[in-house]
Amino acid sequence: MKLTLPFRSDEPSAPGVHPKPLWSWSPKSDREAGDAVVSNFALHWFPAKVFKPSLDWNYSFWLGTASAALLLLLTLSGLPLLLLYIPSVERAYGSVKDIEYVVTFGKWIRAVHRIGAHLMVAVVFLHLVRVFLTGAYKNGSGRGQKREWNWVIGVVMFLLTLFLSFTGYLLPWDQLAYWAITVGTNIASSIPAVGPTIRWLLLGGREIDQATLLRFYVLHCFFLPVGLGVLFAYHMWRIRKDGGLARADREALLAEKRETPAGPTKTYTLLGVARGQAPAIRAASLEAPDVSVNAVNDLVRRIAIVVLGTIAVVGMLAVFVPSPLEEPANALITPNPAKAPWYFLWLQEIVTITTVRIGKFTINGAFLGGVILPGILVFLATFWPWLDRSGAAGAGVWFPADRKKQNTVFLAICLVIVVLTVVGTFMRGPYWHFYWPWQSWPEIPSRI
Amino acid sequence: MSDEKDAAAPGSGGRREFLWKVGLGAGVAALAGQTVASLRSLVPNVSYDAPTTVKIGPPQEFPDGLKFLPDERLFVFRDGKSFHAVSAVCTHLGCTVRAEALPRAETKTIDGVPLRLTHRFHCPCHGSKYTGDGSNVSGPAPRPLAWYQLSLAPDDGQLVVDLAKEVGHDFRFTLA
Repeated sequence: MKLTLPFRSDEPSAPGVHPKPLWSWSPKSDREAGDAVVSNFALHWFPAKVFKPSLDWNYSFWLGTASAALLLLLTLSGLPLLLLYIPSVERAYGSVKDIEYVVTFGKWIRAVHRIGAHLMVAVVFLHLVRVFLTGAYKNGSGRGQKREWNWVIGVVMFLLTLFLSFTGYLLPWDQLAYWAITVGTNIASSIPAVGPTIRWLLLGGREIDQATLLRFYVLHCFFLPVGLGVLFAYHMWRIRKDGGLARADREALLAEKRETPAGPTKTYTLLGVARGQAPAIRAASLEAPDVSVNAVNDLVRRIAIVVLGTIAVVGMLAVFVPSPLEEPANALITPNPAKAPWYFLWLQEIVTITTVRIGKFTINGAFLGGVILPGILVFLATFWPWLDRSGAAGAGVWFPADRKKQNTVFLAICLVIVVLTVVGTFMRGPYWHFYWPWQSWPEIPSRI
Repeated sequence: MSDEKDAAAPGSGGRREFLWKVGLGAGVAALAGQTVASLRSLVPNVSYDAPTTVKIGPPQEFPDGLKFLPDERLFVFRDGKSFHAVSAVCTHLGCTVRAEALPRAETKTIDGVPLRLTHRFHCPCHGSKYTGDGSNVSGPAPRPLAWYQLSLAPDDGQLVVDLAKEVGHDFRFTLA
């Protein structure tokens, strides 16, 4: 007797339904590839077909996918740390020291988390640079596209990434942590009128203490990652709604329409069919079968390579790059020089040089360089899609002539930030004096 | 019952719409209440911070010249019977400045009162520099270092600093 289960039946359960979900990771036919996206939970967020040039390594460099891979890796490597770290001012430093020197694999897990975080700041920034240079926030031909809003979401996600890093390096409660909170919250405090209240709320009191550590801990472990996760999901959904990468828009808008044989899965108007004996449709080359590929597995394979490759690279780097742990937090001694992590050093340079004196009136560099200037940069970045006047030819391609001017200015700003970062990292010694890398720093007693 | 159907028409302000609005209002009010309560709970009501008025020891224990009090982040200067206290908190972004002894002490008149300057101050975070009386002379510091009021505790005769009370650069606390 042959046992037939309903889902194994060869008979369709309703008209138009496939009798058997035929799908595989390496589909033999377009139908199997399409069914994979419909039948498999892990694949359901992919489109059935992908515009082939969008997958080119040298168009997007897959920086967005690498960012997402880093977010995944940071979430996973954060879980064991969550169980090993104690958010108390007395015990935080000791627990991080234990993770570093006592816990089996603790040193490696912490290094993975730390290097992953550093790389994420860099990769998310490079992703933003790529999207700007290729004008990928510009809408193309699709209906209901809101690429500019996905750019805004992206800017917010970049800021969340920076804030996650900032709150993360406070947790060891070492000297770096303590003086970073001191400087960071004093920047907030420099805002006229409301500044001191903002600092007081951030710290949970007048001084940096237990309340401060707990606030930053909960931000780091809950609010910021959850916020980033939600925005990430929306970011992905918008890419689907906007019809994939801007490169596909470019093809639809600008490429010559050409004769394309009608596919068996498409329905055409009677008129179109009646004109010729064998139906051939003049369509954008986007529709041509040779420029689009199945998501399963051309897209899936590339995503797997990028995600697993990113995780492997971080895992290997973490073996060789140790994570520093400075002396325990000491409110009595400021390290000399006291440096922020590299991605904030350009800001440290800027707050140093932006104190302005007009007669007897002085504006603190903390406010001008720490709040106003970064505020202007974030404001410009956020609303740039509405200020950008380049045409459709300026989107979805590297270095378009149409965007020459704005790309040059954008790259100049990036260059200034990079130069300031390099100066802050390698050329600042005790008392923030300038030293060339080959100059030695003077001997300065570590205690007063 | 046919009246009820009419009452349900939008904008007619009937009983059904009224109840619907009451229900929605109650839901929104409950949500808003929870949100306000959650946010308000994060505003501290009690401060466990260190008090701002601190006893810093008997005056005779202070040496002539400078003594740094790390807990209060304070420099206390003594010149014979006269004392003054200068904050070690940089006015730019709050790092602790370091004192560097001058090769030769000099006396200057500041705010009409002569002051013996023995040190100058450097900030390790962004390179601000201050003279011995706390005046900002270079770097990003926007203001001079704060001077705080000194007094004697009436009970045990210790020096007391009031970290909430700034004074001018002509302030001196003189022992009787």
